Amino acid sequence: MHIADGVLPTSIIFTTYALSSAGIAYSLRKINPDDLPKIAVVTASFFVASLIHLPLGPTSVHLLLPGLMGILLGPAAAFLSVAVGLVLQSILFQFGGLTALGANSMMIGVPAVLCGFFFLRFQGTTLRSNVAGAAIAGGLGTLLAALILAGLLYTSGENFLRVAQLALVAHIPVVLIEAVVSAAAVSFIFRVKPEMLNWSRTLVCTNDAAR
Amino acid sequence: MTQPDNIILVSPWIACAIIGLIITWPLYLLCKKRWYPTSSNDRDTTPPDWSTAPGSAEEKRPSFFHTWDPRFKIATLFAFCFVVVSLDALDTCLAALLISILAVFFSHTPWIRVQKRLVALSGFLTMFLVIMPFTSPAVEQETILLFPLLPTLPFHMYGLLTAVLICLKACSVALLMEPMFGTSSLTISLQALQQIGVPSPIIQMLLLTHRFIYLFQQEAHRMHRSMKLRGFSPKTNMATMCITGNFLGMLFIRSYERTQHVYEAMLSRGYNGIFPIYTQHRISAKDIAITGAWLITGLALLLFDAPAQALWL
Repeated sequence: MHIADGVLPTSIIFTTYALSSAGIAYSLRKINPDDLPKIAVVTASFFVASLIHLPLGPTSVHLLLPGLMGILLGPAAAFLSVAVGLVLQSILFQFGGLTALGANSMMIGVPAVLCGFFFLRFQGTTLRSNVAGAAIAGGLGTLLAALILAGLLYTSGENFLRVAQLALVAHIPVVLIEAVVSAAAVSFIFRVKPEMLNWSRTLVCTNDAAR
Repeated sequence: MTQPDNIILVSPWIACAIIGLIITWPLYLLCKKRWYPTSSNDRDTTPPDWSTAPGSAEEKRPSFFHTWDPRFKIATLFAFCFVVVSLDALDTCLAALLISILAVFFSHTPWIRVQKRLVALSGFLTMFLVIMPFTSPAVEQETILLFPLLPTLPFHMYGLLTAVLICLKACSVALLMEPMFGTSSLTISLQALQQIGVPSPIIQMLLLTHRFIYLFQQEAHRMHRSMKLRGFSPKTNMATMCITGNFLGMLFIRSYERTQHVYEAMLSRGYNGIFPIYTQHRISAKDIAITGAWLITGLALLLFDAPAQALWL
């Protein structure tokens, strides 16, 4: 769920913008400029993936995918990719607010980066360890995103407390769905193109040996 | 606990009418959809031109938003959006919404784009409108409505006011974004952003990602069509989630396999890490005048908002 304009107070808006800029600066510093076109191509596929709606009882939910973004793009490129996707969604595809862009990037970007770090440590070499890592990263990413959303709403004022709680509860089924979908996607990728799961290691500037 | 000033008991008839409206409105929308089905046979079957991304064409009828220097336009309206979200009074928020509506009207924005934006917002805003009045903490000197059958859930007018303010601000910013980015092509808008000071790698990422979104959308449609042909119908179960996972995996693998080709193709066409800028804008007196007018409007909104803020705190 995107935070709309007008919800967050001005101080939070500027803080989240500053933090997101720091996140993007971190990404740009870590990745090799030559890799930008490649990251853009994968970002576009994530953009399309996030438009998919899964039925959930009478309604449907759309996937947030911070976990998978962290897994495939790695901690270095994930934040930049999230921010670019959100800017495009906001200015072209009529989704998400303009002044809330900072908050929305934090909400998806920070979990993506953390999941990226987690998956790099946990990945291992077997199918089972990869799938388990992906399931945990997928669930954890969405859970963190929901927690950040609730936290941002809560810091906006006391009268948002209930809305924050409700938003958190509403994300519980999404956490489970994302965990299963991420595990299935990584299991598929591991069997079809395993080198893609190590691609994120080559995106980091300092790690030239893997290139 | 603070005592509210007014407690108004809502008569059962009014409550019934409100509940009736809430139930019948979605039903009406559903029926409308079913009664006027959009026939799938008369759709355009010619393949779209994927070499140009849709939405980048300039509007036919120029307005002062089209001729306004994009650098000034984006910077001014961006700042104005921040002014709008920092407003706290009902009348200034209404004024901001009015300004946005006028801006959309004068920029000749197609109604369908505005509608899309508002529909995308509606879910989030409805949640606020429904939840906030019932969950807002009690404040002094406020009116509370008590509905019959719901004695434990008082309806706080203060909470409703907060929710309405959020809706007004969200709608005015959403409306303003159409004149802001819809009146010049994406390339020109992004170049303007770069000239304002956004780092060029980000602009390049935006341009390239935008270019490939349509490609992958088409790819996803194609894959989804073949899945449907083979009998896939999404349900809330494990199989659907696993199939979706495989679908995503395939999509990502195809994009990954494309990355190297794309990069090599770009290198062979002389890509060296920068996109040259061909359009030159000259700042005219008119640009400065429009910018000044917007800034003064923003300042006026802030000034009129200040007393209201003092009153609230």
